[in-house]
Amino acid sequence: MVGMSFLRTAAAFTARLNPLKRTCQASNLLSRTVARSEQVVVRHGSHGKRMFIIKPTDFYDRRFLHLLKYYIILAGIPMAALVTFVNVFIGESELAEIPEGYEPEHWEYYKHPITRWIARTFYDSPVKDYEKMMALIQIEAEKAEMRQLQLEVRRHMREKGDGPWFQIQTLDKNLIDHSPKSSPDN
Amino acid sequence: MPKDHDKDVYPEPPSRTPVEDRQSSLPNPALILSKLFYYSVDLPVTTFRDIVEGIQSGKKSHYYHQKFRRVPELTQCQEGDYVCYYEAEMQWRRDYKVDQEIVKVIQERLRACQQREGPSYSQNCYKELQQFEQVSKAFQSRYGDLGAYASARKCLMKQKERMMAEQQQA
Repeated sequence: MVGMSFLRTAAAFTARLNPLKRTCQASNLLSRTVARSEQVVVRHGSHGKRMFIIKPTDFYDRRFLHLLKYYIILAGIPMAALVTFVNVFIGESELAEIPEGYEPEHWEYYKHPITRWIARTFYDSPVKDYEKMMALIQIEAEKAEMRQLQLEVRRHMREKGDGPWFQIQTLDKNLIDHSPKSSPDN
Repeated sequence: MPKDHDKDVYPEPPSRTPVEDRQSSLPNPALILSKLFYYSVDLPVTTFRDIVEGIQSGKKSHYYHQKFRRVPELTQCQEGDYVCYYEAEMQWRRDYKVDQEIVKVIQERLRACQQREGPSYSQNCYKELQQFEQVSKAFQSRYGDLGAYASARKCLMKQKERMMAEQQQA
């Protein structure tokens, strides 16, 4: 508060110092005395005086929004039209009991025609996925069992020593030259 | 035998809805609103639906509910039989989903009953309340705090804990 009054006195002082440099001065806004401008009533034939409004650029923002709308609508309108046509002309399926002795295809368990088409064209049947998963589990189980067996066999072979593993090859006995020790008086 | 209460003092409510007998000549706002709703919303929607169904007439495709065979449960699997574990796990997951839907149906019934009865629901919806309580207790005791990574093994372990607790109590 004291600072403000100090600023005001300083502004009034500077205003008094150079009366020529009055307009558009910050001190002018601070001081309570505002330079009175004569207001003239002017009538234009147009929408008034053209102003050059100085503001930060909105080019990038507007460009972004324009491109966003463009790309969304570019794919959005065909998709919306497609979905509308499918819903109107093909329509959803009705729930029914499974007839006797009939095995429905895996896409016939879905209601909407687009879901059915996706399930028919791209996806494997859930039964096939189930069997694939069970096959993988079987393979992994067999691998685990093989590894366990191998460890067991290793243990046995090491212990007993009569198996083909853990045999260290030694030289043939026929290759040994007994000549240095063959006669006792050498 | 003691006398029954005087029927004129506490008359029983009428068994059939009485026919309305209007005395005032003011327009009925409920009637006006219902007619407004009918002409502005109901009629356009119904005609649109009829047009669309006219386009789609004939060649209706059907969809079915999938039926799954029962497979041996986790308790009936040999130890180390991972394929059996997988099948039991998948069956347990399907049963979990079914039980969740059952609880939702019971909840919906209770909600509908409460909406119908209004403030006196705790007296009039007694059956639905009891059913809901029973079902939710059972669900909580079986699937209660298993969490997001629930599995058949964890459920089985929870059952084991429950049985042990019961045995300790008894």
